[in-house]
Amino acid sequence: MRIKAKSKGDKTEVKVMMKHPMLSYREAKKKGKEANFIVYVTAKNEGALVYEVSTSQFLSKNPYMKFYFKGGKKGEEVEITWVDLKGKTKTGKAKIK
Amino acid sequence: MERRKFLGMGAGLLAVAAATPSAVFATNYREKLPKVWKIKNDEKAKGEDMKGVNEAIKAIFGSDKVEEGKIKLKAPDIAENGAVVPVTFQAEGAKKIALMQTADPEAVVAIFDVPERGIPNYSVRIKMQQTGHVVVVAEIDGKLYKADKVVKVTVGGCGG
Repeated sequence: MRIKAKSKGDKTEVKVMMKHPMLSYREAKKKGKEANFIVYVTAKNEGALVYEVSTSQFLSKNPYMKFYFKGGKKGEEVEITWVDLKGKTKTGKAKIK
Repeated sequence: MERRKFLGMGAGLLAVAAATPSAVFATNYREKLPKVWKIKNDEKAKGEDMKGVNEAIKAIFGSDKVEEGKIKLKAPDIAENGAVVPVTFQAEGAKKIALMQTADPEAVVAIFDVPERGIPNYSVRIKMQQTGHVVVVAEIDGKLYKADKVVKVTVGGCGG
């Protein structure tokens, strides 16, 4: 996944592009594959939870998300984790610029 | 109080604050509300069926009493590509936000829990199979608010 974290004064802006086919049930059926899509995404800043969303098959392929959180300093880490329907998880990290 | 002692106290308090996890109430709604993801839209209603959305609101928030206002919702008037529809919404003071639509087989797209340091200002990209309503409901100070935007889709994007 590609993460861009930018300090904006008293808050931090995060843009993330996750790599996932996000196959809905209907799309999967058409392709003769099993449906699979990201179902849960969280982000942490130095261990503190700053973003949390449960998601469905209706997010676009290779989901893009933008969010903000209070605080966060340049040089600190933002860690983003997703979990998909099959239970696979992936974590990415980036430093706040 | 002596300056040195006062500073020492501050450091002690900081240490306690840093050790307290703020991730205590993380909620995965796929586990907590497994049925909400199956609430259907009547696809033959051409995006005008709000029953699924209303049922989802009740299931997620425990009530379907919603007011207008307090939410800024941005979505395109016309989406040329229904596979990638950009949606942005803000709801100051919101603790929980649900994103839904009437265009796809099921109504719920995402449920956000806003952590203590979270800011309820989110952007995502969604799939819309046909023209329909994008609906955002936010819980602010115990009340529910709703915003609704119709997005016209010229080329559907849900594999349908």
